[in-house]
Amino acid sequence: MDSTIKDFEAAIAELETIVKKLEEGDLALEKSLELYERGVQLSRFCHTRLEEAEKRIEILNERGDLRPAGAAFSKDDK
Amino acid sequence: MSSLFDLPFDEPESEPKDAAPAARERPSTPPASSGSTLSNIEPSTVSNVEPSRPGRTVITVSDLTANIRDILENAYSEVWVEAEISNCRLWNTGHLYFTLKDPASQIKAVMFRSDVRTLKFKPEDGLHVVVRGRVSVYEPKGEYQLVCERMEPHGLGALQLAFDQLKRRLHAEGLFDAARKRALPALPRKIGIVTSLDGAAIRDILKVLGRRYPNAHVIIRPARVQGEGAAAEVAQGIRDIVKIPGIDVVIVGRGGGSIEDLWAFNEEPVARAMAASPVPIISAVGHEVDVTIADFAADVRAPTPSAAAEIVVARKEDFCGHIERLSDRLSAAVRGSIARMESRIHQLNRRPGFAGWSAHLALRGRHCAETTHALRHAARAAVNRQLRVYQGLRLQLEQFDLRRRLGGVRARLVGVDGDLRAAARRRHHRAEARLQTCAARLDSLSPLAVLGRGYAVVWDESRTHVIRVATEVKRGDAVRVTLSQGELECKVVKTDGLDN
Repeated sequence: MDSTIKDFEAAIAELETIVKKLEEGDLALEKSLELYERGVQLSRFCHTRLEEAEKRIEILNERGDLRPAGAAFSKDDK
Repeated sequence: MSSLFDLPFDEPESEPKDAAPAARERPSTPPASSGSTLSNIEPSTVSNVEPSRPGRTVITVSDLTANIRDILENAYSEVWVEAEISNCRLWNTGHLYFTLKDPASQIKAVMFRSDVRTLKFKPEDGLHVVVRGRVSVYEPKGEYQLVCERMEPHGLGALQLAFDQLKRRLHAEGLFDAARKRALPALPRKIGIVTSLDGAAIRDILKVLGRRYPNAHVIIRPARVQGEGAAAEVAQGIRDIVKIPGIDVVIVGRGGGSIEDLWAFNEEPVARAMAASPVPIISAVGHEVDVTIADFAADVRAPTPSAAAEIVVARKEDFCGHIERLSDRLSAAVRGSIARMESRIHQLNRRPGFAGWSAHLALRGRHCAETTHALRHAARAAVNRQLRVYQGLRLQLEQFDLRRRLGGVRARLVGVDGDLRAAARRRHHRAEARLQTCAARLDSLSPLAVLGRGYAVVWDESRTHVIRVATEVKRGDAVRVTLSQGELECKVVKTDGLDN
């Protein structure tokens, strides 16, 4: 994804900073629009990352290999 | 077996310290039991030794020691002793050497590696214990000791003691410090789980995740969670799973059970592995009431495995909500910012300096148009004025036109020319008449007319000189005679001057 965003924590921390700055006002219009764009970008990043992970369960064995856990460990197990 | 004795008892420092005072305190009478066994020396052991005197049985040190050894080892093949541990040292061979003592006595003791490993707690100086063991004699040094096979803390349960000891030690090391605790990730890319595949814990965790975090990516590292070697497996599992890229949190635990069942989570390797993990660890062992060393070592303690999953989910949900709120605030903030700008623009627009500007401009424009008009008008008038002057001047100028004047001159010239010709003609006639008059007068005066009357003119020969006197010529000279008509060439024949 966007290379300027490190991870969630960084994204949300930056988003918080941007929102605070915007809420304080006193910014030039260009600056506030620039911040807003960045904020939207960060927010989208977070949303995307929230949705993008696909449900998966894997098992790590002693040799360090990963294999799917199979139906026995389906999270849909009610 | 003798090799096991070599190291500790060769070591000089430990012996004199405790042995000397203990020796002084030792009662002079030996214990009843040992006194009775010593009398059982078998005769066979002394038979082959050369007697120095009859009636006296002399034996070697080796025989004596061997005898003592047999007696002691047979008599004390299994004893339970309550004592305090001192001088406790764990050698790098894995064997534990220590001294058991009470206020009056002491005995050297050893516990071999294989037995040490079964200890849940760590023997240490001052610890009040009950040991089970057998007495063994080390012949080369003539020493005896208690070889311990089991050791239990006196009074307290062994497990409880072990728990307290480890907890105290790790706490002193700072392993449980709050400063070491890491925050859980808001949204773990991958969730690691170290537990048994057969237990209730894994099902509980997956059930919660399935319900509330359906797109979670879970990696399970199976590990036995009870029995011999479980702690090592769990510790290894932690070390393995944190190496998986993207693992942001690890749940380590198992379902409920007895304190023995949960014991692996009270062992040092698990605590160490948790502390060394680069990612946050959630401990999830047993039920709410079960507290393990792992709970202290982990970054977060979950009361149960389900609760561990809930904690992860809650972080995620918090995070989602947080993003939603931030997004809303972001939009609101920028809308507010734009609205503020707009109102500022409106205010500025309404300021007289700005609002009056267009009217001002219109007025100026009108003024400008009027001025232009006037200027144009004035210019045109000026031009017309000049034009009139020009035309006047031109009319004046035309009066002096050469072509007009030439006409007059030419007419006059023609008149003058006619006059001139008439005058010339008149003069000509007059001259003609005068000429005729003169010619007639000339005729009348001509000498030739005299010749007509018979006179002649004599010239010299060259006809340049009129001869008027006869003497001017002599006989023989040629003279020319002009008559009225023609001339004569004549020769003088005689001159006849008239002298007087």
